[in-house]
Amino acid sequence: MNFNVILLNAAPAVEQLSNWDKFVEALLLMAIGMLTVFVVLLIIIFLGNLLIKTVNRFFPEEAKPVVQKVQAIDANVQEAIKKAIVAISGGKQSAQNIEKL
Amino acid sequence: MGEILNKIYEMTAIGSIVADPRFLIMYALAFVLLYLGIKKEFEPLLLVPIAFGVLIANFPGGGMGVLGADGEGLVHYIKDGVEVSKNVYEMSLPEIAHDLGIMNLIYYALIKSGLLPPIIFMGVGALTDFGPMLRNLKLAIFGAGAQFGIFAVLLVASQFFTLQEAGSLAIIGGADGPTAIFTTLKLAPHLLAPIAIAAYSYMALVPVIIPLVVKLTCSKKELMINMKEQDKLYPSKTEFKNMRALKIIFPIAVTTIVAIIVPDAVSLVGMLMFGNLIKEIGANTSRLFETASNGIMNAATIFLGLSVGATMTVDAFLNFQTLGIVAGGFLAFGFSIFGGILLVKVMNLFSKKKINPLVGATGLSAVPMASRVANDIALKYDPKNHVLNYCMSSNVAGVIGSAVAAGILISFLG
Repeated sequence: MNFNVILLNAAPAVEQLSNWDKFVEALLLMAIGMLTVFVVLLIIIFLGNLLIKTVNRFFPEEAKPVVQKVQAIDANVQEAIKKAIVAISGGKQSAQNIEKL
Repeated sequence: MGEILNKIYEMTAIGSIVADPRFLIMYALAFVLLYLGIKKEFEPLLLVPIAFGVLIANFPGGGMGVLGADGEGLVHYIKDGVEVSKNVYEMSLPEIAHDLGIMNLIYYALIKSGLLPPIIFMGVGALTDFGPMLRNLKLAIFGAGAQFGIFAVLLVASQFFTLQEAGSLAIIGGADGPTAIFTTLKLAPHLLAPIAIAAYSYMALVPVIIPLVVKLTCSKKELMINMKEQDKLYPSKTEFKNMRALKIIFPIAVTTIVAIIVPDAVSLVGMLMFGNLIKEIGANTSRLFETASNGIMNAATIFLGLSVGATMTVDAFLNFQTLGIVAGGFLAFGFSIFGGILLVKVMNLFSKKKINPLVGATGLSAVPMASRVANDIALKYDPKNHVLNYCMSSNVAGVIGSAVAAGILISFLG
């Protein structure tokens, strides 16, 4: 789509335009501009949904069994963390229970 | 003795600064920008090079200021005590470097040629994750609403500037530095200095401007809308079986669609999506990704920042036109944020699933700072309300939206 042709035919030399002409052209540009931005993003949203469906259908990832294994923290490490917290806070704070998230 | 002192006085920049104290205003401006970048941490990666560029450009005799070409491409300078006027586009690069200095070489070879903005877009693409946008696709529409400021200011500015100049000024509302530079180069290259500096300064001031507009336009109740709770109340039916494949296909598809609808936006959107594609492919293109997101991006940012700053010489900056651009740019920024918020408010009227207006406010680009700022605002009202992921959707869409808006302005006015 060549926008230049549309506008330049209607408006010859921009410098010669009166303030009112410029206002009208800016208003036209506002309408076309906002519309185009909305249309492009709506298309992108539509395209995104289409891609999600297509990918889900044709390239579904093999579901890997997720094994959640919470490893216990070594007793020595727990002791070291507790001592470090006491040392850094100057004895004001202490840790009761240390778990891996 | 007096003669020696006089020679020393002439050798230093002091004499010229005393003769034209406007230089002091430029130093003050540079120091304020440096303060904002260093101490306030407002986009330091951009603001520090720009501010330092402003500083070094304004020492008389230093030769680090960029000489702007007039409408006919002529630059006027003094060589061996004689005033010379030459068409800068007919000068060879070594001649520019020799006669005008290295800053002009960087400026004319990398910025004025239009090379750096798309290169930076490639880096931005490589650092962007479209995941949050794909997970909340509907929110991407606010990336369009927040382009309102561009066209609103175009309307106002058209009464004071030519349409080309007004378009360049208005694109500041896209909150995207490279886009603003790219558009200005195409439409009104003589305004590059004030527009680039206004665009980048306002981008750096996002932590101040967004809260200001939000405070003026949103109620506490609206800002407390918890998006996660809304998701639980009205869950999305979309499931993602293969996010990786989706993220790889998405940039290719978007580039194709945008290229067909707005060809003038391709140099920006195309490079953005290329950068994103080499990120998403993963290990096979990791070397390209690392170079695009680190080496090239960082080098481009340094050159862009310093030379854009160096365009802010006394004569180019201290005039009424610049003041108009600074004021207009602020309006464009404010209206863009308001446009996004307004669209959310309108949609909330018709939808059961409510949206936090902050998601609309981040529809202007400035990724990811706008989203971070919006998230901080939401957390102030409700410490459990994390809106970052939702804001990133409209924020990333805003990058595409502003590039499309730029493409439209260039198509019509270029």
